[in-house]
Amino acid sequence: MERVVTAKDLAALADDMLRAGRTVAGPVRRKERYFYEAVSRGADLAFDFNYCVYSPRSFFFPPGETLLTYSIGTNELNVAPEAPRTSPVIMGVHPCDCNAIGLLDAVFGSGVPDDHYLARRKDSVVVAVDCHGPCDPTAFCRDMGGNEAQEGFDVMLTPLNGGKGQAAERYLAAAATERGRELLAYNKVGKEPARADRDAAEKFREAKAANFSRRLPYAVEKLPAILDRSYNSLLWQVTAKRCYSCGSCNLVCPTCYCFTVKDVPDLSCASGKRVREWDGCQLQDFATVAGGHNFRPESSSRLRHRIFRKGKWIKEQQGRMGCVGCGRCDRACTAKISVVEIYTQLAEEA
Amino acid sequence: MPEVRAMAEKLNVGGQGSPFAPEEAEILGVADLTALEKLFKLRLTGGRSLGHAPGQFVEVSVPGFGEAPISICSSPTQREIFELCVRKAGTVTAALHGLKAGDRIGVRGPMGRGFDVEEMAGNDMLFVAGGLGLAPLRSLINYVFDRRERFGKVWILYGAKTPQELLFTNEFDAWRKQPGTELMLTVDRPDENWRGTAGVITVLFRKLPKVDPKRTYVAVVGPPVMYKFVLLETLSLKIPRNRIFCSLERHMRCGVGRCGHCQINNVYVCKEGPVFRFSQMESLPESFA
Ligand SMILES: Cc1cc2nc3c(=O)[nH]c(=O)nc-3n(C[C@H](O)[C@H](O)[C@H](O)COP(=O)(O)OP(=O)(O)OC[C@H]3O[C@@H](n4cnc5c(N)ncnc54)[C@H](O)[C@@H]3O)c2cc1C
Ligand code: SF4
Ligand code: SF4
Ligand code: FES
Repeated sequence: MERVVTAKDLAALADDMLRAGRTVAGPVRRKERYFYEAVSRGADLAFDFNYCVYSPRSFFFPPGETLLTYSIGTNELNVAPEAPRTSPVIMGVHPCDCNAIGLLDAVFGSGVPDDHYLARRKDSVVVAVDCHGPCDPTAFCRDMGGNEAQEGFDVMLTPLNGGKGQAAERYLAAAATERGRELLAYNKVGKEPARADRDAAEKFREAKAANFSRRLPYAVEKLPAILDRSYNSLLWQVTAKRCYSCGSCNLVCPTCYCFTVKDVPDLSCASGKRVREWDGCQLQDFATVAGGHNFRPESSSRLRHRIFRKGKWIKEQQGRMGCVGCGRCDRACTAKISVVEIYTQLAEEA
Repeated sequence: MPEVRAMAEKLNVGGQGSPFAPEEAEILGVADLTALEKLFKLRLTGGRSLGHAPGQFVEVSVPGFGEAPISICSSPTQREIFELCVRKAGTVTAALHGLKAGDRIGVRGPMGRGFDVEEMAGNDMLFVAGGLGLAPLRSLINYVFDRRERFGKVWILYGAKTPQELLFTNEFDAWRKQPGTELMLTVDRPDENWRGTAGVITVLFRKLPKVDPKRTYVAVVGPPVMYKFVLLETLSLKIPRNRIFCSLERHMRCGVGRCGHCQINNVYVCKEGPVFRFSQMESLPESFA
């Protein structure tokens, strides 16, 4: 199903969803930057944004969430799993972040399924908006295949006008899933696309393809083999010397999903909750066990671990790249450690 | 419009419940083994038998304190109960030490992969334990003794820091009485009453009678520093690398291959381990970290 919608239609659709009791979230402008936030009115959503500082993963995998509640001190074990009830409608997600959602779907849906994630994801709707070129010089999504949305979205918005600093006002909205069709059928948003609209969408896609260029000197298919040859490279130590082990790169990454679990008793100590919180493999004690032994004590071994996950291991485990090339980690790093630079330098020495 | 590869509609929303929800287990008894370790005898109150393989572990929950991975130290031949040997090492383990018979805790598991007892059957067994490593090995040792006719000779090499830190000393006599079995002990720091061997675990290899590398399986569990040295010893005995099994300890937070904490290279210890063959570890450099 395809419809032509204006920015106003989209805001009205968001308002409809809010009236229907749904949580609606999307890019919101804060000073010069954009953040994914839940909104109370559709007009607050920005569809023509460069990038959002954080990824939308927090709507499905929040920075902190309750897994179980329990009571303490009774002889019986009194534990109840917590079922999340909000399944948000997220409007305005770039292709890289859609692909990252697809990876998280695979991670949390495979093996022992994670009902905490899946309950949030189950009835969620993701409205993607296509980008007409790199959102920032740090992006290398073209290399990672991140700039074409393969999964993780229900509707794709293709801008029909605007571009080059001009905000788009009209979009071709194409449903990719049943839920996407349901959303577009809701109150019959927008209007039937005309021939000219489809042509404009086609022109957008052609222009988009030309706007992105590769930054890696090789095709990404070669990356796992290059990493394999670089396990003992000195580059890990040379680069990690600058690393503060602050974990900002993990924090902003749309594909990072490591976590810790801990108990938080309430003040009375009669009950409490078991919570899951984001964790980061770059943090000093990520691999420390009780007794103090740290299996990755050097920042170089932690940096190598992150890069191998993003460039090789996640692909082997989940069939998708663990990095979509969004460039967020590069932007977040005060030490100016850049994934794409590491990928490039490794190829030079391998 | 690109083809959507995995639509969210196809998501496997299991309704299996939370992977973090524990089962209730009742503490049937607690015994002091050393100043730091206690032995807990447990039973799942739902009546289910835990059904583990030696070398597997459970995630133990003490509400208000958290969860910790603990090896099952009893043999699976004991179906109605299972045992955990717990060292007081921090928050959760200290909370466990404060519990008594009749108290209930939470358990998830059995988790991970244990020792391949079917493959080991029919062969001689060389056990090498350092410190708390005897706990997971005790499950396999007692399994072997409960199926004594299915196994050949048994050597148990066990080292601890001091005589006071030796675990399961009350079972030593029973082990020694088993046919074709030798128990060899060493301590790093002997006291005046110690009449056995002194020194690190590798000194026991000097006293080991001739082993037939063609029919011997090795199971090693101990602290990280021990592995390199013990593996060199077993290699010099010419035992094939795929018949040497090690159990690796790592930080664990989920037990289901997701939180990332237990990862060694591209492998999750909670899922594919904690028991690994030496042949497998050779391609995982981080297993020797
Ligand atoms: C497969 C497996 C089997 C095990 N079997 C047994 C067993 O049979 N018996 C047994 O007693 N133990 C066993 N352990 C070890 C046991 O899991 C730990 O001792 C236990 O998790 C400690 O939890 P705690 O809450 O008591 O300690 P805490 O002190 O709360 O430690 C919990 C976490 O805190 C962190 N931490 C600890 N020390 C430091 C530090 N110095 N700096 C920063 N962070 C730190 C670590 O990340 C640690 O995992 C096993 C572990 C594994 C992985
Ligand atoms: S953001 Fe930079 S400095 Fe901080 S942990 Fe990541 S690589 Fe290291
Ligand atoms: S590793 Fe960096 S570039 Fe790749 S997806 Fe994560 S934040 Fe984006
Ligand atoms: S304990 Fe979480 S991945 Fe192994």
